[in-house]
Amino acid sequence: MIDTTLILKIFHRLPLSLISIIVTNTLLIFGFVIGKIVLYKFEDAIKFFAYFSVLMCALFVLYFISILWFSAGSLYRGNTVYAAIFPIFLFLPFFIGHFATYEKVHLYTNIQILTLVISLLLALSFI
Amino acid sequence: MGKSLDFEFVHDNKCKRAVLLFHGMTGSPYEMKKMGKALYDADFDVFCYCLPGHGTSPINIKTVRWEDWYTDSTMHYRNLTQEYEEVYLGGLCMGAVLALAIASEYREVRGILSLSTTLFLDGWTIPWYNFLMPVGVHTILRYYYSFPEREPYGLKNEVLRKKIAALQKRNTEALDNYPMSCIYELLKLSKWAQKNMFKVQAPVLLIHAKEDDLTSPKSAEFVYKHIGSKIKKYIRLENSYHLVVMDNERDFVFEQSIEFLNSLSAYGPKISKQPPVEDDLAETAGV
Repeated sequence: MIDTTLILKIFHRLPLSLISIIVTNTLLIFGFVIGKIVLYKFEDAIKFFAYFSVLMCALFVLYFISILWFSAGSLYRGNTVYAAIFPIFLFLPFFIGHFATYEKVHLYTNIQILTLVISLLLALSFI
Repeated sequence: MGKSLDFEFVHDNKCKRAVLLFHGMTGSPYEMKKMGKALYDADFDVFCYCLPGHGTSPINIKTVRWEDWYTDSTMHYRNLTQEYEEVYLGGLCMGAVLALAIASEYREVRGILSLSTTLFLDGWTIPWYNFLMPVGVHTILRYYYSFPEREPYGLKNEVLRKKIAALQKRNTEALDNYPMSCIYELLKLSKWAQKNMFKVQAPVLLIHAKEDDLTSPKSAEFVYKHIGSKIKKYIRLENSYHLVVMDNERDFVFEQSIEFLNSLSAYGPKISKQPPVEDDLAETAGV
């Protein structure tokens, strides 16, 4: 049985920036997985997945802002290790995007999902 | 399908001057055909080939890089230089950027027709969420996102607009969407062309619509300001959108292009030959 009160109590203690990272990270993983498995098969629905991709872009922006917010907060509190770890995930999507090709889009999407999962696990480890 | 859209308008008697035309992003030689015919009638041999990834299916365009467009276009240009004494380049949208890019490397280009030059995507039909584009184009999302083509399809002329909308449904002559990966490659080509703009020495005629829906006159103004050419002319159209070679003022565009090329050519008709215009801004230009 999941103790929701305990989860809420834990979340209440967490900095907002960390919650924001966890939420946006989870949504991005879901977005990529659902997109890869279901949505992008309907290539004719251009308008639909155009908006879906816009939503994903917006989530990425929120994710980046959350990371910067968390890192700045950690630096302010003197926790340089915390401050230094997360910014790596700021660059990874661009790094992956730089090398990605259409022929290997599934491979690079999987790599992107993997990095997001690692980032989520890292965020959860701070709880 | 792509190759079948290519056209070559060649005179029977050996012509000494040729124009190589480049079509725009997600377009095909179809959009340049009327211009090609007008140039042919003015005694130029005219060539226009489908750029890699274009004219087939929307998937193919996602597999090409800007270097493929550049290499293919350069190859066609070099082939023409073997056969003709004067080779001119002309392009619409991304084709104009390609023409400028080639001219920055090949000083012997005799002249450039740069129509609706697309260095920046800042026209009035660009959606409000455009500010998210840097994230989209530089991440894996570019292979998933396509910016749907919408009215007015680059045309102010409403009759032509319906025709183009019908063509876009076939997704061959023109696509009904701009894949983000294609925009990414265009922006990379544009960046490269901007960096090398000062190297372009060939005379250039810039024609841009004031109300261009895809790219504002800022692109043409950038070229005018930074190009190395001493002979440059900028005409701003008042009654067209992006597809200036098809829209309301197409005849004016053809007329100005022919007049400009004839003014540079040693083989042009003597009557219409005008002296090259140095640093001239056309009366409609507002730079």
